[in-house]
Amino acid sequence: MVYLENLYKRREQAGSVFELCVPELEIPPGSMVALVGDSGCGKSTLLDMLALVMQPTRVERFLLDLGQGKENAMDLQALWKNRLESRLAQIRRNHMGYILQTGGLLSFLSVMDNVCLPARIKGNQDYLQQVTTLAARLGIEQCLARKPDYLSIGQRQRAAILRAMAHGPDLVLADEPTAAVDKARARLIMQDLRGVTRDSGTAVVVVTHDTDLVADADVTYSFVLSQGSEGLVRAECRRSV
Amino acid sequence: MGPQKNHSLKMVPGLAASSLVHDRILTLCLIIALAAVIGPLLVLLGLKHGTIETLRERLVEDPVYREVRPAQIYEFSPEWFDRMRSFPGVKFIVPSVLPLSSILHVEHPETGSLEMFDLISSGPGDPLLLENSAPAPQEGQCVLTHEAARVLGLEQGDVLEARVTRSRQGRREMAASRLEVAGVLQPRAGSLPRIYAPLSFVLDIEAYKEGYGVPPRGWEGDTPEPYLSYDGVMLLMPGPLDPIERTGLIINTGFARINEAEGIEVTEKTAVPLPEGWTAYRLSTPGSPATMSGIRALRQKLRGKEHILLPYVRDIVLQDATGRNIAPAGLSLSRREALLLDVEYPPWGGFTGSAASAGRLTRLLVPDSFDFDSGVVFHGVLDLHMELEAAGSTALQRPLVPAELMGVLRTARQRGVKLEPESGEFAMVRGGFRGFRLYTESIDDVPRVYRELQEQGLEIMAQVETIQRIQVLDEGFARLYALLALLGITGGTAVLLSSLYAAVERLRKDLGVLRLVGLGRRHVFFFPMVQGLMIAAAGLTLGFACYYVLSAMINHTFASELAPGEKFCSLPLSYTGGIILLTTCLALAGSLVAAWRATRIDPAEVIRDN
Repeated sequence: MVYLENLYKRREQAGSVFELCVPELEIPPGSMVALVGDSGCGKSTLLDMLALVMQPTRVERFLLDLGQGKENAMDLQALWKNRLESRLAQIRRNHMGYILQTGGLLSFLSVMDNVCLPARIKGNQDYLQQVTTLAARLGIEQCLARKPDYLSIGQRQRAAILRAMAHGPDLVLADEPTAAVDKARARLIMQDLRGVTRDSGTAVVVVTHDTDLVADADVTYSFVLSQGSEGLVRAECRRSV
Repeated sequence: MGPQKNHSLKMVPGLAASSLVHDRILTLCLIIALAAVIGPLLVLLGLKHGTIETLRERLVEDPVYREVRPAQIYEFSPEWFDRMRSFPGVKFIVPSVLPLSSILHVEHPETGSLEMFDLISSGPGDPLLLENSAPAPQEGQCVLTHEAARVLGLEQGDVLEARVTRSRQGRREMAASRLEVAGVLQPRAGSLPRIYAPLSFVLDIEAYKEGYGVPPRGWEGDTPEPYLSYDGVMLLMPGPLDPIERTGLIINTGFARINEAEGIEVTEKTAVPLPEGWTAYRLSTPGSPATMSGIRALRQKLRGKEHILLPYVRDIVLQDATGRNIAPAGLSLSRREALLLDVEYPPWGGFTGSAASAGRLTRLLVPDSFDFDSGVVFHGVLDLHMELEAAGSTALQRPLVPAELMGVLRTARQRGVKLEPESGEFAMVRGGFRGFRLYTESIDDVPRVYRELQEQGLEIMAQVETIQRIQVLDEGFARLYALLALLGITGGTAVLLSSLYAAVERLRKDLGVLRLVGLGRRHVFFFPMVQGLMIAAAGLTLGFACYYVLSAMINHTFASELAPGEKFCSLPLSYTGGIILLTTCLALAGSLVAAWRATRIDPAEVIRDN
């Protein structure tokens, strides 16, 4: 569904330079793709680029294929180049869901409003059925009326999964969704995420530092770090076998 | 794409409002901070407007301070009044008559004693009346000063009988007119017993006092007959005068010059030929007309001598209905004079020296070939329309009219002369007025009008110094209030700007998340804008609520000092609208900075906690 080739991103921060190379990455529809690596390896950077909130420095191919075939796929890099910011926002809104480390729920909205927000922004009409079913499935149906601040971290992450799924996206991007909970809970949350995405045929990209958590991923990419000259860190992302 | 965009945009106000409600304590702080600036500012403006306007209206805008009057008696033409009426800053001007011509007597309705009052002319729009709770009097009405009403014990709606007396030809005469009291002035309009009436009534009273009749009111009297004036007089004599006699004619006769005239000049000025062997003299006074008293004095001196006096006027042109100019000569001759000069005897006869009667004067003799229609107009000070009766023909070269008519027409060139419709006689229209009462738009216009009149060479009375003192005070107040208002506005702007900016900083992460879930930069741009407007609206509401409570308290506290309807603290609608508009604009401008800041937020940078 997403296909990229020879992506290069260079970031400069306080004198040090970080370079990320991704020779090839593919997210097949309905699959679970894991990006595994230690902190600072560039996995979040890659996820932001996949989420269309960060522009690659250069990339050979960066395509979004929504079932129309690779030849007709959307050229995301071209949209960046042409500064079609609203088109990128539109793609985010229509086809993507996002789960942040700490949920990323808006504290001023109730869980229900948070969950329904992407669907409303997208302009969906009949999301309520989907939301209540998923909420029951994730075991948070009784939390929906509360504000996120009154939820446990586990409930919050499940609410974030629900929000990412509520508008029926084709791709869910999860950034360390379980970093804030203990391993046992993390496993349960991950199982739920995998469960709901598999049922709806949604592709999911999970960023994590914990290989065990994503043992059942369809594809796993890992990062190799190398120290270049002084102040230069190079990372390369390759598919693990 | 289109409807979807709208969809996202429509969600922004709801989200912004939810955010404000969620952080209700912080929001309340912002609203209170804003109200804390707006409330006192409103009270300040209310006090400025209330106190200053109350003082201004009580004192500064009292018509008494805007009055401009001549200090001496002059003569002002109707045209002068027209000019002054359109002079910038002049709100109202009404002619006045001589003080002695405007004294009225009114009988006290109870005691029957006769009280004397000054009659003052007024008219529509008279500020002295209108701003002292009385209407401008209509025909048949009058307005009394407080003192006059007290003396007579009259109120609005009562009727009084105004009496005016005069002595004419040794007899005392009296006329009376009933006037309805249309209003009574406040005491501040003046402490003298006065009666204000329409100008037309005052002029009729003046005319009556001068001995004239006022037919529309049924008051009898004379008609103001125009005097006759001439450019000079032709004296025709069978033989020359000796030098002593000749000089005698310009001593005490009102004439300054005597010259011998050729026959051709005589014909040119009077249309008659100079008989063979006769001598002609031209008598005149350069720069002033020959009057009837001069002509009578001349006759006196020439008594016993054979002579013919022919008063003449040059350049009198009548226009008939077709626009043709007729230049007549004036010739009035007795039978004997006509015989001596060998011209036909005119049907109007010899020179009488009087403008009456018009029927005798409006006649014309035309040369044979001349074809004439009766209606003519003379363009003098006023257009004088006359029907001239063709009384026959003349053998002379020019149309002839009575010399008296020429005298009337020459006068009509300098003064208004009309044919009275009732009597059919010539009458003088009044020339000018002996004074005026003028009010400016505001006290600020008094000095300009004062200067203008001084430049016209008039000695003027006005409260210029008092006005300047008040103006200095007023300006000082205005400047002080402007400074305080400026401080308040600056404070309000600072509060709005800084708090909205801070709100955006606080919401960085949330705005990043909103971007992530599909809102574009454009959409998050409106987030702070909406919040800014909401905070401004709430701040304004609270500010106005504070103002109303405070102003009610202030007005209540000072209620005993104020007249009904007066307020110490009040805001006109324009101020209220202005403040709402200003605050909204400032809120928008302030949130624009915050909004710009919101669009710069990069979701990738803010969504992670580390």
